[in-house]
Amino acid sequence: MFLIAVRNLFQEKTRLLISVGGVAFSIVLIMVLTGLYRGWNDKMGQYIRSVPADLWVMQDGTEDMFHTPSVLPLDYESKIADLDGIASVKPFSGRRVAFHTANQQDVGLYIVAYDAERQTGLPAAIATGQNVPQASEIIVDRITAKNKNIKINDSLDIAGQKFKVVGLSEGGDVVTFSFAFAAKEDAEQILRLPNSTNFFTVQLKNNTDPNQAISNIKNNLPGVDAVTKKQFVSNNTKLIRESFLPVILVLLIIGTVVGTAVIGLTIFTSVVEKIREYGVLKAIGMSHRQLYGVVIKQAMIAGLTGFATGSLIAFGLQATVGDFVPQFVSQINALDMLWVFGLTLAMATLASYMPIRRIADVDPAEVFKA
Amino acid sequence: MSIIEAKNITKIFGSGHTAVKAINGVSLKVEAGDIILIMGPSGSGKTTLISMLGTLMRPTGGTIWIGGEDISEMSGAKLANLRLHHLGFMFQSFNLLSALTAQQNAAVPLMIAGLSKKPALKKAEELLEKLQLGERLDSLPKNLSGGEKQRVAVARALANQPAVILADEPTANLDSKTGHEVMQLLCNTACSEGRAVIIVSHDARLKDVAKRVITIEDGRLTKEEPGNHEPNCPTEHGGQKQ
Repeated sequence: MFLIAVRNLFQEKTRLLISVGGVAFSIVLIMVLTGLYRGWNDKMGQYIRSVPADLWVMQDGTEDMFHTPSVLPLDYESKIADLDGIASVKPFSGRRVAFHTANQQDVGLYIVAYDAERQTGLPAAIATGQNVPQASEIIVDRITAKNKNIKINDSLDIAGQKFKVVGLSEGGDVVTFSFAFAAKEDAEQILRLPNSTNFFTVQLKNNTDPNQAISNIKNNLPGVDAVTKKQFVSNNTKLIRESFLPVILVLLIIGTVVGTAVIGLTIFTSVVEKIREYGVLKAIGMSHRQLYGVVIKQAMIAGLTGFATGSLIAFGLQATVGDFVPQFVSQINALDMLWVFGLTLAMATLASYMPIRRIADVDPAEVFKA
Repeated sequence: MSIIEAKNITKIFGSGHTAVKAINGVSLKVEAGDIILIMGPSGSGKTTLISMLGTLMRPTGGTIWIGGEDISEMSGAKLANLRLHHLGFMFQSFNLLSALTAQQNAAVPLMIAGLSKKPALKKAEELLEKLQLGERLDSLPKNLSGGEKQRVAVARALANQPAVILADEPTANLDSKTGHEVMQLLCNTACSEGRAVIIVSHDARLKDVAKRVITIEDGRLTKEEPGNHEPNCPTEHGGQKQ
């Protein structure tokens, strides 16, 4: 009875448009939010993933780079290096700072100390300009530069020191602030860490069990904690998960309710308008199962057309909006598509309930009334 | 064996002091090839009777057999199946599906019965051509005249080759000439194929197409007389079927 479902649906094109538009709106809302969640989650961990390290070592009680500060004595470097399975150890120093640009823009940076000798504290990639900072030079993230109107050769006054912008890096934007890179000596003036560092990045020898290496570090250095890179990335993206997921959940529920309500109301209106025709179908011998099938098919067609339209719009936004709004970092993946598709089917099924109830109540004998 | 047999059926609406006996002990046998016109004033029980004979309403008392089967204990699903394969319906206001073309409307019962779209549409086309609607296959109901709509309804009623066609005031929304033509077409087609037709109507001119004319008053059958239909039916090839 696909024919009846399709013809009924396409007979009232405005209503179909509203139905498809409503579902598409819900799908765009759900997909973009999910994409942004994934995109931001990925972005938060992008720089940490780029740092060559198997383990991150920090002061006990510190979980990530941005909340509880970690301060470790520099002489721990040799102590860690002496442990079994350790291939190399390098200090990693950095700290969040806030300042105003010359045009009074608030900027939040995480200044990383670049150690030319040890080759630590390098940007993940360079978009333009120099790839390493010299004395009194700084490399800032491209997205921050665009947002705050910072250009190469601009001068930035950070914590009483003047820096010349010499390069723009990629992959260091973490939504609320971004990574910036300054020479070790300059950074130390800002970070104020004499004979100390914030973290050690550790590379392991081949076939070394990371968990065993972590135990060794903890057992030999009291007050020190160590985690795998994967765990450290997860710790640093926890903020996004904890603050973003509840918002997504609420908007997901709103999107689902809107989508279900729009399909439900438009199909219900159509059913009420054609209730006599459904009575005729009952009278001439259509079974309840077939009648319900007509309604469900209409809801499915509206839902899936809305899904296709919404998906196209969401992918279109993903491909274009980022060029104008750099924070719009959306990453919609196949799994998201799949569960949103499932959600659409669930919305369409749920939306069919009220129209089906209405049809079930139709007395076919009513069709004999003029 | 009769196609439909109703024995002492009653229908009471409401209960207690407000109970209304719409049908009161009606018995009726419908044989293959019968063309029965049921006439009576408004409120006499015509529509209630045809609704019960069409299995759209269950009688309060008495028994109805269709094709030899007692329908009183049949489930809703079985009754729907019975209507689909054994009964055809025509209505006063045509009741075509507004979103479907003439051809698609005529094909609906075939598709409900499980025939796939293509052969169903093909068969519907043949039926509509037989009813002189070959030129209007793709027209929506809103673009058809009253007579054309009722002919599409005839095609839909005949689609599954039912044993009985039940028509409720089929000419009420048609001018007299068109109404007569459509009913002549229905009755001749049904008669030539050995189907029975039960018509409920106020229109006394339909006696011309009926073989039996039954009068109903206050829920009782009060009179039966022969109609003016020719005793022999025209065949599909224009001759007379004995």
